[in-house]
Order: sequence, then C-alpha cells, then structure tokens
Amino acid sequence: MHNFTNAVILPENLPTLDSEQFNRLDKKYLSIIVIRLVLVFLIAFGGCIAFLILSEATPGIPVKIAVSAFIVLWLAFSIGITLLGFPRKGYLVRENDISFKKGILFYKETSVPFNRIQHVEVTQGVLAKAYKISTLKLFTAGGNSSDLSIPGLPKNQAQQLKDFLSEKISKHE
Amino acid sequence: MNKPDLSVPSRQSIKGLVIIFIQGIRSLARMFWAVLVVVILQNNLLQHKAIILPALAAIFILLVIHTLLYYLNFYFYVKDDEFVLKKGYLRKQVLSIPLERIQSINTKQNLLQQALDVVALEIDTAGTAGKELKIHALEAPYAKALSALLKTKTTEETEANTSEASATKPIESVILKLEPIDLLKIGISENHIRTALIILAFGSQLFNQVQEVFQEKADEYSNEFMNFVSNSGWALILFLILFFAVVSFLFSLVKTVYKYYDFRLVKSEQAYQIMAGLVNKRNVLVPHAKIQEFSWATNPIKKYFGIYHIAFKQAVSMQNRKNQLVDAPGCLQTQLDLLKNDLFGPDELDAQHRFFSHIHYFRVGWFFSGILPVIGAAPFLFSFWFFWVSAVLWLAVSGFYCYLLFRKRYFQISTTQIRVSSGAVGQKWNQMELFKVQAVRFKQSFFQKRRSLASLEIMNAAGSISIPYISESLAKQMQNYLLYHTETAQQKWM
Repeated sequence: MHNFTNAVILPENLPTLDSEQFNRLDKKYLSIIVIRLVLVFLIAFGGCIAFLILSEATPGIPVKIAVSAFIVLWLAFSIGITLLGFPRKGYLVRENDISFKKGILFYKETSVPFNRIQHVEVTQGVLAKAYKISTLKLFTAGGNSSDLSIPGLPKNQAQQLKDFLSEKISKHE
Repeated sequence: MNKPDLSVPSRQSIKGLVIIFIQGIRSLARMFWAVLVVVILQNNLLQHKAIILPALAAIFILLVIHTLLYYLNFYFYVKDDEFVLKKGYLRKQVLSIPLERIQSINTKQNLLQQALDVVALEIDTAGTAGKELKIHALEAPYAKALSALLKTKTTEETEANTSEASATKPIESVILKLEPIDLLKIGISENHIRTALIILAFGSQLFNQVQEVFQEKADEYSNEFMNFVSNSGWALILFLILFFAVVSFLFSLVKTVYKYYDFRLVKSEQAYQIMAGLVNKRNVLVPHAKIQEFSWATNPIKKYFGIYHIAFKQAVSMQNRKNQLVDAPGCLQTQLDLLKNDLFGPDELDAQHRFFSHIHYFRVGWFFSGILPVIGAAPFLFSFWFFWVSAVLWLAVSGFYCYLLFRKRYFQISTTQIRVSSGAVGQKWNQMELFKVQAVRFKQSFFQKRRSLASLEIMNAAGSISIPYISESLAKQMQNYLLYHTETAQQKWM
C-alpha cells in the first residue's frame, strides 16, 4: 500500500461568502418589527393594569414603579437590539445558492444550495400586507431544521425571487 | 387478494373493520375520558339506566356505521406514477405522492394487529408535513408484495440498469441478529443515569398526582418518610443509591428486551431491513440511497463488551422522526466495519487530520455548568462546611466532564466525507457524505467574535451535525467547501 495522502483538504481559491455583499432588507420591514414589538408590550402592559383592577391587590407605589420601569426598560432594550440588529440582517443570492444572515449578539449565516430546495413560498402577514412586504420561505427535505425564511422583501421582489428559484429547482429535477 | 394490482383501487383487508372499530373506541375514549370519570364518580347518574343504556347503544351503532363507511371509502392505487390514497366520507381526503418521492415503506404490528394477523403499512415522504399515508390493516403477504412493488417502482429510475439483475433473486444476508445474551449485554451497558432521571421525573410526577388526591394521608406519610430519612442518614443514602441502581438496571433491561427482542438487521440489494420488537413488532426498510447519515456510539461498558450502538439516519418528515428508530444497539467491531465499508467504501477518514474544537469550548462549558452555579450559590456556602465541600466537588466534576467533552469533540474531513466525534463519558461518531449536505450555517456569538472563533452547523435531510468553537477562518473555509461540494454534486441525494 503506497502512502497516498491528499493534503489539500480546504482549497483557498473557492468562492467565499462575503458578509459585506449581502443585500439589506427593506426599511419598511423595520417599521413592521417595531410596531409588532410595541403591540406586544401594549398587551403586556394592558394585562398588568387589568390584573391590578381585577385582583383588588394594592401593591405599594415602589412596586408599581419597579414593574413599570422593568417593562419600559425591556421595551427599550428590545427596540434597541432591533434597531442595531437590523443592518446586520440581509440576504444574498449567488449563482448556486441563497443565504440569509442575522443577529448582533448571536450572528448566524445560513446558506442553502438551489439543488437542495424542495419548494418555495411567498407569505404575507396582516401588518406586512399594509406595507406591501412579503416573506420568502424556502423548504428543504426532511423537517424544518434547514428551512430558511427571508422576511422584509418588497412584494414584487419576493415574487421575482420565487419565480427565479422555482425555475432553478425545476432544472435540478 | 394476494396479488397486488395497483392499477385498480383496492381496499384494505376485511379485518381492517375490527381495527377501525377499535381505533374509533380508542379515540372516543381519548376525547371523553374526563366526562366518563365524572359520570362514573357520580354514582347517582349510573342509576339512570334508562338514559345510559340507549346512549351507549346509540354510540355503538354510530361507531359501527362509521367503521363501515370509513372502510368502504378507503382506497389506494397507483396512477400516473403517483401513489394515491383516498379516505374519509364526510370530509373526503385524497393524498397523493409521486412514487419517486417515497422515502421508505415500513410495516408495523401492534398487539391487536398481531392477533388478527395483519400489518400496518406506512409510507414515509421527506418534508411536506401533515400528510399521513398509512394503511392500517393488510394481510402480511399482500403488504410484502405491495411494498416490494412500490419499492421497485421507486428505484426504477435510479437503478434502471441493475433492475434486471436484481429481478432474478434478491440476495439477502443477515448482518446482525441479537440473541438473549446480547440483549443482556445491551441492557447492562445502557445509560443508567438517564434511566434513573426518567424514573425519578416520572415518579415525582406520580407522587404529586397521588398527593393531590390523598392530600392528608400523603402529608402524614411524607412526614414519616422525612423523619425516617433524617434519622437514618448515610446508610439510607447508600441504600437509596443501590436501590436506584438496581431499578434503573432492571428498567433498562426491560426496555431493551421490549424494543429489541428478536432483532435482525438484514441487508438486501437495495436496502437494509430491521425487524424487532416484543409486543409491537416493527419492520423498517431503509433503502441505501436514502441514508443521509450514519452514527455509531460506545461507552465504557459497551467498550468492555466490544459493542457499538449504530443508527441510520434517513430523510423523514418531522412527525415521523421520533417513531422511526432505525438503530441497532449491539453491533460488533467487525459488523460495524462491514456496514461502514458498505456505506462509505474503504475508509478514507482515519488517516485524516483531527480538527479539535478550541479550548475555549471547554472554558465556556465549565463556566456555565460549573463556575456560574457555584457563584450563584455563594451566599449559602458560608452557612455550613458541607456546602463548601460540595461546591469544590461540583467544580471538579463539571470541569472534568467539560474537559472530556472538549477532548472528544473533533472532526475529520476528506474530499468526499466528513466524520464528527462527540461525547463525554461515551463517544459517538457521525459520518456523512459531503454531497448530502443541504444547508450550512455559520454561527458566531459576540464572545466568539472577540476571539476569532465560530461554530458550524451542517444540515442534511435527516437532521444536523454541529461543530462548535473552531477558528473563524476554518469555519469560513468549511462553509465554502461544503457549499461547493453540494452545488457541484450531480448524484441523487435521497
């Protein structure tokens, strides 16, 4: 047996996925997330007030201030993270794959090659409908661990991407 | 009805009537058990026989009608290369699946089906959740013929050339057969700590429920119990440990026998077949081409016996993933080598460089499992010397455990395959072919970025493999390399 080794395992000259090249999401999507956040906190706040009125509990002023401060700080923190994190969200379509990145504290970059996508969908929530913003959903085989969804795309762009991907998929089959 | 002719719609076996009926009772019971309990507990209701009996009779008649209608409206056939299943009478359902999308065909038998000598046939598709292609009652020979028929149709495209050769006589060889002595070994080498935790969790839940019902008595007993515990001290603790060890061991043994009784792993031309089970017999078919990932694991006791726990991971939809146990618990080294050679060809990974996770993987693990809890408990430490001892002990044990985790975490990669090792007390290896990757995720936390580290998640149609805490540049290279492999691959990957 000859000592055959195959030293170059990770070639340097492969095309690299550069996080600088990613396309940003539509600015309107930022408004949608912020509105959604505020709504959730309004509900939480309303819940607290309703609880106060209904339960006949009479917490002292310090408790009230502490709880309110906590809720307001939490809201501020969430909005802050959202604002800071938004520029880091983005997608990139290359010749053979599509990628999505997000996160400031926990950065994630997921890539799915076209020849592993099973089908593509465009969806739209109620709020997103008003802003004409869509989400592109990519489904891979076998459960959802590697499914990818790209939010914050203008409606026509999402549709174009879907058509583009559908064509790519049918070519692979 | 022994020759399946799929061009015409066929019904399941006439014995299916019994199965549908029993299932109807079962689902009714599941829906109304709470009501039933109330009815039975309130004795006075039972006295109104005039109401209860007609009601029961009505339910019975409705159930019979349901059974008949369900049976008569349940068809399956093949049309235009699609397997079609029609069911339902009020809400008609037509499920159809292109034959080439069929991932695997499995048969199962529960106690009732065994008594009636019929089998259930399950057709699994990757993805597209929510579709249930299951035929509950087929005569065993018919089911076999049907699955063989679907199988040939499924593989026709990919292996058109070899189909003539295989049509003559399928060659089957038994790779692994578990005897009672093997089951004993497997039972001994199971993870007893996990079993003990399951029993403990289950037991405490049961205790809580019992307590709710018999509040006063339970209080009395638990007080007595606490007195007993605090009076007898070390001897009791020792006894409890021993008791748990024995119970866990017995539990593991029973579980092993229940799951793996009469286990056989058979290899045929196009698939592996696993048959096992004491009460619920299962028969799982894994076509070679559908296997996404292969894993083998060992632990100190298993090592002593020289056995490995192997598992095939195939592309299955999410809801089937848990039920679909395609594993073999007691595989010898030679059998393992045989299977590896079968799946991946001559080994090309053993000689490759082992890329270990960065030592920071150990530090982070120890910080969160060891140091942080001790800091959290710090205020209590000063109250009693025993707490100091336990804190130091905890630091040492968690440190050692995390160190083991770190030592066994590495991956090896060749130009066609990747193998990832993990484990602490035991060790587990996952191996897959590179072209079966279907997505790659690069992950980097804020803390990792400061040290130029990153983690990688490699996903295939059967799940994902993670490679934590490697250098950022290596992770990036791997990401590009894996994508390159999948994107240039022409082979059918499932």
